Amino acid sequence: MERFIAGLVRDFESGKVDRREFCKTIALAATVYAAGDAAEAQPARGFKVLGVNHISYTCPDYTRARDFLINVFGLESAPGHDTGARANLMFGPQPGKGGSFIVTRNPAAGGSKPVSEAYIDHFCFTLSNWDEARVRAAMKAKGPEISGGRPGSLHVLDPYNYDIQFANIIEENAFKR
Amino acid sequence: MEGFVAHQLHEFETGKLSRRALIETLTLAATTLYATGAKAQADATLKAQLVNHISYTCPEYRPAADWYSKVFNLDQIGASGRDVAMPMGKKGEKPYGVTSDDVPLPHLIVRNPDRAGGGTRTRPTSAAVIDHFALTVADFNRDRARAELTALGVKNIRDGGPRSLHMDDFYGYDVQICGLENNALTDG
Repeated sequence: MERFIAGLVRDFESGKVDRREFCKTIALAATVYAAGDAAEAQPARGFKVLGVNHISYTCPDYTRARDFLINVFGLESAPGHDTGARANLMFGPQPGKGGSFIVTRNPAAGGSKPVSEAYIDHFCFTLSNWDEARVRAAMKAKGPEISGGRPGSLHVLDPYNYDIQFANIIEENAFKR
Repeated sequence: MEGFVAHQLHEFETGKLSRRALIETLTLAATTLYATGAKAQADATLKAQLVNHISYTCPEYRPAADWYSKVFNLDQIGASGRDVAMPMGKKGEKPYGVTSDDVPLPHLIVRNPDRAGGGTRTRPTSAAVIDHFALTVADFNRDRARAELTALGVKNIRDGGPRSLHMDDFYGYDVQICGLENNALTDG
């Protein structure tokens, strides 16, 4: 994009495009950029990840975790997918268009998965339009106490003491480490 | 957008803005502020927009991170000697399906256990567990994915219903792979 705009500035300076055309072209470029599809072709080896599809959360009574995530973080239970043993809780873009979900579920009958040396110690939601005072007040109003963190990146414990973080783009961004 | 560009151009023409500053400003505007349109943000204060990150703790983060780089082409950012961030996309990209400017790419944080959480807080024992997570990949086809995973040396690949596969990662943690067609309205 930067190279394209630099070329356009050069054309403007040399008189190849007039002022009106320059402005229209930049605006059009922005529109085209926005319409770009992130689902590009697969790389030569391995896969191109588009995002987190879902997180599978197992606990003694899935309804307690389900209700917490719905009431506190605004997740929505997928219609027809609350089976009495699990629920799919949607958030983000529409299902099938980049949306994610959390499966809250009761332990599987007949045993558990092989134990791994690795584990997920917490996960973090991104909140939009972060306002520190408003976020803290909203959480207080919902009930859970903020269990830690810093401005822009906070934690709460869910009904099973599982650590859930919620943050803004400034404090939790892979490229700003 | 056009009004904004006209103003910046005027600043440039009158010497208030350098050529470089003009290009940078217009590039930024075209790729962020105006690229999303003027869609109103009507979300509730605490409404989750997306997964920001998943914090994955393991005995030694490097081989686990290398595994995710090899299988899922995830870059490793900001390795600290005890952890690394692995964004699901490249710098400057937006998360798939997201138009908002303040929602970053989701990422894995793969870390050693000594400083889980990146701070001094200690976590209480939880009765809940994340038993697996699933990644959405582009152009998912189960047969092709199985062949690709096999070629990559991935262990314990097994079906996860008609639209996905499960596998063991470097530490035997259960990771699922699927396409966009596996979602909240089709899974389970």
